[in-house]
Amino acid sequence: MSKTNCHHKWAMTNIRDGYLVTEGCFHCLNRVSFFSEEPVPPIDAYHEGDHFWSYLGSAQASKFDLRCGKCSKQIPLNELMALMLCVNCDPECGVFRAGHGEQDQKTWVYVALCADTSHASGTCVPDEGVRALNEYYQGDLENPQRIKVVPCRIRRSVDSCQGIVLADVGLTELY
Amino acid sequence: MKTSELVQRLGLKTFNEQGDKEIRGVYISDMVSDIIGIKEGNLLVTLQTHKNLIAAANLVDVAAVVYARGKTPPEDVIALANRAKIRLLGYDQDTWTLAKSLFELGVR
Repeated sequence: MSKTNCHHKWAMTNIRDGYLVTEGCFHCLNRVSFFSEEPVPPIDAYHEGDHFWSYLGSAQASKFDLRCGKCSKQIPLNELMALMLCVNCDPECGVFRAGHGEQDQKTWVYVALCADTSHASGTCVPDEGVRALNEYYQGDLENPQRIKVVPCRIRRSVDSCQGIVLADVGLTELY
Repeated sequence: MKTSELVQRLGLKTFNEQGDKEIRGVYISDMVSDIIGIKEGNLLVTLQTHKNLIAAANLVDVAAVVYARGKTPPEDVIALANRAKIRLLGYDQDTWTLAKSLFELGVR
């Protein structure tokens, strides 16, 4: 089988543990996230061009890439910060619509969250990465339509979104 | 082994009556970010009773979730599990005791 015709069998590879750190700029009100592999997540505020980034929060998280066990193709998921389950809070949202197609069956939509939360830079998780994530999570299901992964750029509003982020928020907080 | 047989043999508590799935393995974890990498059909043993765990368990299509040490999920978590058709079970003793019992039953 040639590599281009491979029906990929994805597995996680290059798994890294660390923190998903979210920062906000009080100047432009944008939000960004990044993955830190430092033992303690960085919380210092800093100045970058027109931005004044301040720490908003962090959660323990894992990052990974996908590698096909048959053709060895590897998809780096550098832009993927976390996955989030859509709870269907907004019928006008692109994520809601992605889960309500013409099919009768129930589809659970997971949003691939990228680093540029506000999408000010116009970047998001690339289509190839989203496609591989779909193939990975749908791979062994009896009904592959049950799970669907979509990029966060189709989300209507980060401020009103009520989705459940798959991250370990609060495990390292002191109260 | 099906989850219904496991419930009977270990005397597990049942928090809902969802799908009776085949158990293809066991995974023990209390971290959501850890669970998203496991294979379909695992029995997930945990202490975490929050919604995020159900969201992750649904993504990887677990056979069932077992809460050890007598942990009880809140109503909104049970409601989400019902929508996802995930069976929620409870075990009164600690995780290690449960792991030993599962191994002795041949659930591996």
